[in-house]
Amino acid sequence: MNYLKSILAVIFTAIAILSAGPGNTADAGIYAVQIPGAGPIMDPTAEFWNKTPGFQVQMLPQTVTTPANPNPATKTLIVRAVYNGSWVGIRVEWEDPTQSDRIVVDEFGDQVAVEFPVEYKPDELPSPMMGNPGRRVNIWQWRAAFQRDIEQGEPGVRDLYPNTMVDVYPDEVLRVTDARAYTGALGVDNLVSHPHGSPVLEQIAEGFGTLTALPEDQDTNGRGFWRDGKWHVVFTHPLAPFSKNSAQFAAGGETVAAFAVWEGGQREVGARKAWSNWVPFRLSK
Amino acid sequence: MAKVYNWQIGREMDYPYEEARPAKQFAMVMDTNKCIACQTCTVACKTTWTPGRGQEYMFWNNVETKPYGYYPLGWDVNILSRHGVQDLTHFPYQGKTLFDAAPQGERVMGYLPADLDYAHPNVGEDDSLGNMTQGAFLNMPHMQWMYYLPRICNHCTYPACLAACPRQSIYKRKEDGIVLLDQHRCRGYRECVKGCPYKKSFFNPITRVSEKCIGCYPAVENNRQTQCTITCIGKIRLQGFITTPDKAREDNPLDYLVHIAKIAKPLYPQFGLEPNVYYIPPVHVPPQYLYQMFGWGVEEAIATYRKAADDKKLLGTLLLFGATPEITHHYKIAGDTVFAYDEKGAEIVRVPLKEPIHVRKAYDETREVYRTNIT
Repeated sequence: MNYLKSILAVIFTAIAILSAGPGNTADAGIYAVQIPGAGPIMDPTAEFWNKTPGFQVQMLPQTVTTPANPNPATKTLIVRAVYNGSWVGIRVEWEDPTQSDRIVVDEFGDQVAVEFPVEYKPDELPSPMMGNPGRRVNIWQWRAAFQRDIEQGEPGVRDLYPNTMVDVYPDEVLRVTDARAYTGALGVDNLVSHPHGSPVLEQIAEGFGTLTALPEDQDTNGRGFWRDGKWHVVFTHPLAPFSKNSAQFAAGGETVAAFAVWEGGQREVGARKAWSNWVPFRLSK
Repeated sequence: MAKVYNWQIGREMDYPYEEARPAKQFAMVMDTNKCIACQTCTVACKTTWTPGRGQEYMFWNNVETKPYGYYPLGWDVNILSRHGVQDLTHFPYQGKTLFDAAPQGERVMGYLPADLDYAHPNVGEDDSLGNMTQGAFLNMPHMQWMYYLPRICNHCTYPACLAACPRQSIYKRKEDGIVLLDQHRCRGYRECVKGCPYKKSFFNPITRVSEKCIGCYPAVENNRQTQCTITCIGKIRLQGFITTPDKAREDNPLDYLVHIAKIAKPLYPQFGLEPNVYYIPPVHVPPQYLYQMFGWGVEEAIATYRKAADDKKLLGTLLLFGATPEITHHYKIAGDTVFAYDEKGAEIVRVPLKEPIHVRKAYDETREVYRTNIT
């Protein structure tokens, strides 16, 4: 039943993409325009974005696997792309009435992700839903909470709960190695615990439940800001990264991109998300 | 969904994974009649495992005052009201498990507690069921009643936390059935916090992933009972391993209490998780309440428990509680003594069924003093 739904969803997306709003033509997709310069493209407010055509991506409810999200908050994203001598930049915008970047048990953060096949073969595309065995995808996930960590510092317990009282923590009285046992996921360097210099986590997947972030793959950077009910997030990635797990880009080249978005204010997290089908992604010559 | 057998409800049920019972199953029996809520277990657990940053609010072990004390607030009434009234009159169980009751698109019926639900552990403990009428005096069973319910993770045979995790970050150990949450694999989705009806999976807001009771596995691996068990001053706990009823061994104290004497009962068996912490029900509480909480056979359990003083085997088994920090794998009663043995058959403790009484004369002739009885 769910499988059937997913097939229908794919068909509907295809129709949606083909018939999408102004500026979207049948074979359009996302067209990355070359801009001068080199290095990371980090500024979501840069002037060149205004001269770049936006492509509207239709977002779909995730109902193929459990837990499902039959009614996600975000229906569309506007995506623009550029590249320079060494990096590609992708700006994603979407409407979100609440800025969610505080993470406690019942509060979830806003997130957006862009996905590429690690190896682009037009006849052997991975599933847009996180790839499948043998067809690996590269997923860059920007997190509002990481953005806040970078700009304002990682929150301590007193930042999250101003009235907390604690006598003593193990790291105040034990040697570093002995206190490590009390640091949980931080102590085992779980990459989701805090940002490592970037608000974007670079990850790989080969199907549901396989999403993996490797420390040596962290090539993606970015920046996002929220204003007047709208997120503007830039992802930037080297055209030719060292990692074999990363998508590769070249002038005049083509691949496909897919998207996912989570509205933290609606408790969207993990599989409870909005997703898109593959969208053509081309770079100008 | 696979079909698995759950002996606590006496029937097959749906579960997302195939039945895969561990070589040994971690289990605990707690005697609610002896618990005084001193919270020594809570503090022992807290100082051993959760003194770190982000764990301030976490109690992997807690003791709550029933019926109105909770941690987190309203955990059992919240899931019970979502679960709805279930038919507990027949055995095998005719009602729905939490897996049967899962809404479309979900793996298990659950709810995510609010952050503030953890803020006041056991608030409501002193709320009474009603006013005492003028001239009331104590009668049995009590008109007014309460009791203490100590709780840890149930290391369920069919954990809902494990079922709910879309990443298989939670696993049940083959060697001892302890359910663990991989701190490296977890991404903090909180599906386990939502899915566990006992609310024994916790979100750490500093590490941004979830954590849970680890069954003191480093101790258990060394044949030692958990911290909450060995520090219990009321000697209300016995931790060891349990087998399924068809393989019950009379010389395993947990098998004896649960499967043979049938005086220890699982917590909310109707949820369908086959939890492995078993409770000797409080003797003075109305049976309807106990029936909902501990399932079939609570009245028989209480009747058997009340006669423990006349039943050498049962008395001997109960005397193993708090008698040794080591895990008892075998035991026997010989004469007026109960003997406990480890896995290899070496004796670890012996306890007399009756404590010897020494009567001292009030006047000590050798020292020419009177001794007053000050204990």
